[in-house]
Amino acid sequence: MFKFLINPSRFNKFADIIFKPLAITTALTFILGLFLVYFSPLDYQQGLTVKIMYIHVPSAWLALLTYAIMTIYSIIGLAFKIPFSFIINKAIAPIGAVFTLLCLISGSMWGKPMWGTWWVWDARLTSVAILFIIYLVIIFLNQTFENIEVREKTIAIFILIGSVNLPIIKFSVDWWNTLHQPASVSKLSSPSIDISMLQPLFVMTIAFSLIGVIIAILRIKTEILIRKKYL
Amino acid sequence: MIILKKILLFLKREFKLFYTNIADLFSNILFFFLSVFVFIFALGSDEQLLRTIGVGVIWSLLLLSSTLSLRKFYEDDFKNGVLIITHMGGMSYELIVLLKIFSHFILVQIPFLASLPIVGIFFNLPTNEIYNLFLTFVIGSLILSCLGSISASMNLLNKTNFSISSIIVLLFSIPVIIFSVGINNAGDNFNSLINLLIGIALIFIGISPWSSAASIRLALKNS
Repeated sequence: MFKFLINPSRFNKFADIIFKPLAITTALTFILGLFLVYFSPLDYQQGLTVKIMYIHVPSAWLALLTYAIMTIYSIIGLAFKIPFSFIINKAIAPIGAVFTLLCLISGSMWGKPMWGTWWVWDARLTSVAILFIIYLVIIFLNQTFENIEVREKTIAIFILIGSVNLPIIKFSVDWWNTLHQPASVSKLSSPSIDISMLQPLFVMTIAFSLIGVIIAILRIKTEILIRKKYL
Repeated sequence: MIILKKILLFLKREFKLFYTNIADLFSNILFFFLSVFVFIFALGSDEQLLRTIGVGVIWSLLLLSSTLSLRKFYEDDFKNGVLIITHMGGMSYELIVLLKIFSHFILVQIPFLASLPIVGIFFNLPTNEIYNLFLTFVIGSLILSCLGSISASMNLLNKTNFSISSIIVLLFSIPVIIFSVGINNAGDNFNSLINLLIGIALIFIGISPWSSAASIRLALKNS
């Protein structure tokens, strides 16, 4: 059933079926999410700036999720010798980079009115900046080697080593005393965020992930065509 | 027993090769000293300022100067076929990588230790900070050797982008820098930070033979 995740031709067929409904759903979700964000309540301390959260938090989650997907696909590709996983690695690395950059920029715009500074050398901020540099190195490595097998396997090994950063980002707010607030949505007990803010946040997260999926589908299809020497 | 003999012969060869090319090491150390000089000239000779920033500056310059000769880590052995011959002689690539890391640690990184007290005097560091610098550099340079092995083996077939190997080393050495510089104002956390550094070193000793051997196999297959 899930063979489209490791087989290029199955993936092409699946993507052709799913693409139009997915695009419509994404547009609808985005409109709904923006409406919900518009009508969501203001924070009693932060005022209007709390609405940066609806861009900041989804892009941060998706930056981490993209790297986690790349890590899983590198393990699959190196262990079971499935070349499609390397195609996915190459295709979704820029998406993760863009989400990380969006997270950094929106966080810095949120930090200026709230903390009084654009940037602090805080554990969470620094580790996310390192994640952005790792994404950039992956993109540069994609342009480096002539031999295609060497290129993709080297990138897979690099991704595996770089995945050490993921738990550091996740737990940095618990391990160190940071200015960044600790996790409030993904706690194991009940989330400490109010339901009226949680609803638009989840809709925005779904919208962001759908738009990421759409760009990923387009890039993966282009990459398959390049591998087949059609482009 | 015969594997021990092979290991000894391999190390002996490394030492001999290093001895014939000892000017390379001295130019590394010279680069380190010169960069320290340039830094001090750029900052001016305010003793208090130099003392506060000394350890961080020394560590980052050590990092930069030990990434200088990284391209030579595997390249010569790869080009003249020593790697493949040694592998045919019955040593796995992982073992070769471990021996390479060991010899790089002994021959390239340890000589920097001798230069640390002199540089410490330049920066007017107190004695206990020089001692901490010694301790952290012995552990941290092992990590640097492992990272050098990883990035050098990744870039064996890389003929266009020369600075990416240094970028990889700098990227993964950030935790080393954080913990080794932070050890000076740790206070009671001294032992835990040392343990953390040793833990990172053990992780990299575990990772680097596997990943370097995979990269070397790839490069040999496709060269």
